[in-house]
Amino acid sequence: MVSLVRQYFFSWVIVGLLVGLTGCATAPPRGPVPAPEPATVSQKNVVVALLDQAQGEHRRGDTARAAASLERALRIEPRNPVIWHRLARLRMEQGDYAQAQSLAAKSNALAPTDAQLRSQNWQLIGEARRRSGDRRGAEEAFARAQSVLEP
Amino acid sequence: MARRTKAKKKTAARRPKRAARGRRRTKARNTRKFLLFALFWLLLAAVAAVVYLDRAVQTKFEGKRWALPAHIYARPLELYEGLRLNAHELAAELEALGYRSAADTGRPATYRRRGGEFHITSRSFRFWDGEQAARRFVVRLDDQHVSALRAQDDRGALPLARLEPLLIGSIHPAHHEDRTLVRVDDVPENLISALLAIEDRNFYRHFGVDPRGLARALWTNLRARRAVQGGSTLTQQLVKNFYLTSERTLRRKLIELVMALSLEAHYQKDEILEAYLNEIYLGQRGNRAIHGFGLASQFYFGRPLQELELHELALLVGMIKGPSYYNPRRNPERALARRNLVLEEMVAQGFVAEADVAKARERPLGVTTQALTQKTAHTAFVDFVRRQLQRDYREEDLRSEGLQIFTTLDPRVQHAAEHAVRSRLTALEGQRGLPADSLQAAAVVTTTDNGEVLAIVGGRDQTGGGFNRALDARRAIGSLAKPAVYLTALQRPNRFTVLSAVDDSPLVWKERGAPPWEPQNFDQRSHGDVPLREALIHSYNIATARLGLQVGVTDVIDTFRRLGIEQDLPPFASVMLGAVGITPVEVAQMYQTLASGGFRVPLRAIRAVLTVDGAPLQRYPLAVEQAAAPGPVYLLSTILQDVARTGTAAALPKLLSPELNIAGKTGTSDEFRDSWFAGYTGDLVAVVWVGRDDNKPVGLTGAGGAMRVWSDMMRRVRPTPLLLTPPADVQTVWVDAETGLLAAPECAGAVEVAFIKGSAPTQSSDCVPPTASPDRLRRWFKKWFR
Repeated sequence: MVSLVRQYFFSWVIVGLLVGLTGCATAPPRGPVPAPEPATVSQKNVVVALLDQAQGEHRRGDTARAAASLERALRIEPRNPVIWHRLARLRMEQGDYAQAQSLAAKSNALAPTDAQLRSQNWQLIGEARRRSGDRRGAEEAFARAQSVLEP
Repeated sequence: MARRTKAKKKTAARRPKRAARGRRRTKARNTRKFLLFALFWLLLAAVAAVVYLDRAVQTKFEGKRWALPAHIYARPLELYEGLRLNAHELAAELEALGYRSAADTGRPATYRRRGGEFHITSRSFRFWDGEQAARRFVVRLDDQHVSALRAQDDRGALPLARLEPLLIGSIHPAHHEDRTLVRVDDVPENLISALLAIEDRNFYRHFGVDPRGLARALWTNLRARRAVQGGSTLTQQLVKNFYLTSERTLRRKLIELVMALSLEAHYQKDEILEAYLNEIYLGQRGNRAIHGFGLASQFYFGRPLQELELHELALLVGMIKGPSYYNPRRNPERALARRNLVLEEMVAQGFVAEADVAKARERPLGVTTQALTQKTAHTAFVDFVRRQLQRDYREEDLRSEGLQIFTTLDPRVQHAAEHAVRSRLTALEGQRGLPADSLQAAAVVTTTDNGEVLAIVGGRDQTGGGFNRALDARRAIGSLAKPAVYLTALQRPNRFTVLSAVDDSPLVWKERGAPPWEPQNFDQRSHGDVPLREALIHSYNIATARLGLQVGVTDVIDTFRRLGIEQDLPPFASVMLGAVGITPVEVAQMYQTLASGGFRVPLRAIRAVLTVDGAPLQRYPLAVEQAAAPGPVYLLSTILQDVARTGTAAALPKLLSPELNIAGKTGTSDEFRDSWFAGYTGDLVAVVWVGRDDNKPVGLTGAGGAMRVWSDMMRRVRPTPLLLTPPADVQTVWVDAETGLLAAPECAGAVEVAFIKGSAPTQSSDCVPPTASPDRLRRWFKKWFR
């Protein structure tokens, strides 16, 4: 239970950060605030433990180690779109916008039916594009972040 | 003697000549003057020599202290519930790491196995993400999987346990010396005791040479009538080891003496001792000298020095006197006698209690049966690692800074690949009546989504190093090129679907700069119009060439580049059928991109590099680049799965399990010079090439040669099934196999086919609502989907 709360916490911190940052820009079309990730990111204890560990490292400001832990989780579950999404967020924080976009796209490719996660990925892609100066691309991505949530 | 008599005669002859006396006096004075003069120069020369030797020995000493090879590690084995691993594999890993099977697993690097249950105490190890303490845990293996993992001291489940990684290689200084550095404070006390007892008991008291020790050694040896003790001090021996010859001349002895005194004047005893511990020659593996106790411990016992027990330490110390003569593998009896002598000396000098030695004396030598192979194997992989490192580090730093390099090598996969290459090539030569050892091969295995290189085989003989075919052999890839053509077409969903008709009628293509090109099908027949997917499933050359020309050679070459072929491809149409030499590792990159849904991950063999002190120096993070849209790549993968069901690789499901749903492609170059297979499962991508070094025909198709090696390898590795996730822009519809029109699942002959959304057929076949369908189309599809 504690780990779940931590997971939520992590998600919300990042989401909040993203929303705050997008707010600073000249109001690009934005989707609704993405819902937190599904409670069970993985059926495997080991992956949950590694994601917990990554969150702890991230909280302590050690992004390099947090990334290493996420990569470790990906070695165990390479087709888990949530892990790819988290790595994308981390790269975003590290200022690597190209990787943030690619990793979010990878997450999308593995989550064809998870509308929430897809929306978050598009949101992230939009933000990465905006920060790297691709305003039109950003708008497109934000639009998709919204449209994937529509039934 | 003769000369002296002659001289006497001369003097006698002179004696009567008194007049000569004055001259003689002058002469004597001259002689004295000359002697003085000579003495002066001699002294000067001696001083110069001493100064020179002093400088030389210091340079040597400083240099020796810091020239540390880089150490290369395999991936650490991460144990967790659900991991595919069997008891045999876990035991093999533990053995390779030098763990000992013991009833009591209180000490690090021990384990106890009962059936599928392992009680393990790991070693502490400094990973790239920090120090990991030794820990005790229990692993249960059932049905090829880890079924339970818990810490030994509590009942709670342990999510993850990481074993330390296997050392697989080193990057050495140029002079072929290998070394695993030990610090004087870290070595077992008994090692120093044994060393002092047998080699130099006054070490901490003398000044570099030990006249008393020399005398005692002489006396002892005389009394024992054999060489028990050595006369030279550790300092002298160290100096002797700096120069690799064992010349025994007075001049060399003098030089040694001066240098020993010089070393003692400049350095602390413990510094000299540490240098000695790391420098002393203790054996030979091939052309590589084993220097120092750290490496010798690995070499003879397969364990780090800190874990050795009294009898093992005594053996190593005993070997100093003659590493070849007392080689415990070749001359076990001599080695045992020598070891026990060292033990006796230790008691005699009060270093250890008689009781302890009595036990130690009863122990067997305990050396591993063969020199650890892990350092000599994996040469092709280590070669790949080195090349990646050379982009980021200076060669001399790699050879001397003691860097710790953590790689992605999976020893289990590497062994499977090496074994498959070795045994299958021999079998193929036998079956096909080919000359023995005429075939060569290369293999590359990577993970699908992370692009980590798990194994590289550079040829059938892995011990000698030599030509690394996986990285350096550019061989015609034949049909392995075709997926690039089909992907280029499928990326235009408004023009091509997997059911589009492709023309397989004879073709002559002329372009400037290349001879007229007339591709032929393998069966020398033309198949008329064929559905796009069938053209790839059966690897039709003409249809592929025509399709490629339709989409444009430049676009196909661009697809190659995006998929990861870095070399510049000639802009000729024949490239589309693989008439171009590409290395196996580049082919692996291309298929990795396809396997991971269009996301290219530059193949990585290194995860991180640490300094000698364990500080992180560099990480090689996972990087991803979208090279192709997931939709078309998905369509292509479904076709490649059919290649391994009904196409050129149809034999594969019989060799492996059909449930693996492997996607793969065979490749055969002109006149059967090259046999290729590239394929992917849920977790692995692997490419195998088989051919001859002299590029002569081998008479093997891709399926007949490389695919056999591939399947042998995979059978041992046990990959996960390939379960493709249809991307969001892909829809799967039922079509009538006869007409290619929409059908209902219950219609007779209905098949499920994937399309990019919007490109699926819109007309329904007569099975759903009865509408007229064109007879020609019906016949055409009937032919292909029967």
